[in-house]
Parts: sequence; structure tokens; C-alpha cells
Amino acid sequence: MKAIKVIAILGVAASLSACESVVTEGVSSGGKQDKTIDRGLDAKHLSQLQAGIWIDPIGCDHWIIDDGVEGYLSPRVDKYGKPVCSGSAAPNTAIGPFKSGSVFGDAI
Amino acid sequence: MVNELLSKGRAVLAGSLIAATAFVGTAAQAQVISGTVNGERYAPTIWIDPDGCEHWVMDDGVEGYMDLKVDRQGNPTCHPVQACAVMNSDQLFATDKYTISAAGRKRLTDFFAQAGATAYTVIGHTDSRASDEYNMRLSYNRANAVAKIATGTGARIADVRGYGERMPIASNGTAAGMQKNRRVEIICIK
Repeated sequence: MKAIKVIAILGVAASLSACESVVTEGVSSGGKQDKTIDRGLDAKHLSQLQAGIWIDPIGCDHWIIDDGVEGYLSPRVDKYGKPVCSGSAAPNTAIGPFKSGSVFGDAI
Repeated sequence: MVNELLSKGRAVLAGSLIAATAFVGTAAQAQVISGTVNGERYAPTIWIDPDGCEHWVMDDGVEGYMDLKVDRQGNPTCHPVQACAVMNSDQLFATDKYTISAAGRKRLTDFFAQAGATAYTVIGHTDSRASDEYNMRLSYNRANAVAKIATGTGARIADVRGYGERMPIASNGTAAGMQKNRRVEIICIK
């Protein structure tokens, strides 16, 4: 029983490493296993993302990140959880270095 | 070395678990079996925004996902960044009043002249004496008085709030603690 388990794990490990060798950004048949890294052209751990600020139609701030292929958006709140509406730019605009995290050519 | 081996072993084990789940997933695609978890593993990491608050983030190849991380009470999980300013109410106001003393006015004007933020949120707090309702009103009136001075110096005010006695930073059981709780908090938005 134990031997079978070990063989199964080894088989899985082998198939996993085979999978890793044919990695292009997002196009591997098995699906991307580690969701915490950006791989491909500008590989990095996701904690390194560079954010800018998008001001929503109401006038409140969101963190916006254009990381090449991926785009991220998340609310900006203060420590009490209330939205931060800094008024630093007009609604429907984005400011800051949010496209600086990637060298991926993005015309839009 | 041992640690490295251990973590590698763990990675392989985790990998095999994922693979096993994926296998179950494909098998279950034809027929969803009730009572079985038909999920795919989506484990996020944490991104900390420039204000110090945490967000869940996942990169699924072409797609990216992000969401604010909150605890079960709905509060954000923010790392304590140094508050821009916490002013003791006793130095700005007389007991139960919300007009600012001349010295307090000067102190606030000086502060807003040098703080250099894009905008400010002003929040009033009290100790736990008197009723909750009274304290909510007093703290809001005091925050408004501070915000008025800020506006006078050309500073932009994003929000004015009064939290009364509901957000203490010290024990209300001692005089020193109560004095700490009587405060006006200024959040500087960069």
C-alpha cells in the first residue's frame, strides 16, 4: 500500500516537472498551479506589484495595477475600513506608476 | 540544507495534492457528485498597498485577481503606519466644548502648513464618560472645528467623522487612559 502511494507521488512529481518545462504565460494544459507568482516575460512574486490610483465615478480611490497581461483593482480604505476619497484627480481617471511594474508592451 | 529538502518535500506533496484535486475535478466535470468538493485550488498571496493595508492577490496565467482582505468583522487588515497626527483634545478644547483655544488654533495651522498631504480625514474621539450619543455628537463637532481650521489653511478635507467613545486606544478605567482616548486623529492621505 505504502509503495503504491510513493510511486503515485513520484509519478505526479514527474508529470509536474514536465509541465513546468513548457510554461509560457498562462498557456499550460494543466492550469497554473502557483497563483502567487507572475511568470513569463516579467516573472515576480505578486507582493512586488506597483500600484497607481483610479478614481471611480463617485470620486473614491482604488488601487489599480496594470501588470502587463494581468490587471488588478482593489478598494483603497483607511484603517477603519471606510473608502478613501482623496479628490487627487477627477472621477474616471487613473494616476501614478501603475503601469511601471511590467515591460510588457500594452498599447491601451 | 535540511530545511531546503524539507520544503522541497512539502512542495512535492502539495503538488501531488493539487494534482489529485485536479484529477478529481476532471472526473467530476461529467457529473457533479454531491457531498464531494469539486473545487480547484486557488491559494492567494498578500499584496500590501502603500497605505499598509493587505489585499488578496492571485495570478492565474492570463487573468489576475485582487480583493481587499478583511477580517470576519469586515475590518481591513492594515499594518500600523505611523498616524499623521493624534492631538490630545485637552490641548485644543475646554471640557465639553468644541471651540478651539488660540494656542490650539496656532498649533493646528502650523501642522497643516507643513504636513504636505493631498487630503486629510479628521476623526474625533472621546473617553467613555457621558452617554454614547452625547460623545458621538461632541467628537463630531470637535472634528469639524479642526477641519474648519484645516480648510482655512488651504488643506483639502476628505472626510470628517466622530467616533465618540467607540474606538478607544487606552483603558477608560484610569485617568491617564481616559486622557489618551480624548483625541483628534488626523489621517494624512498622500
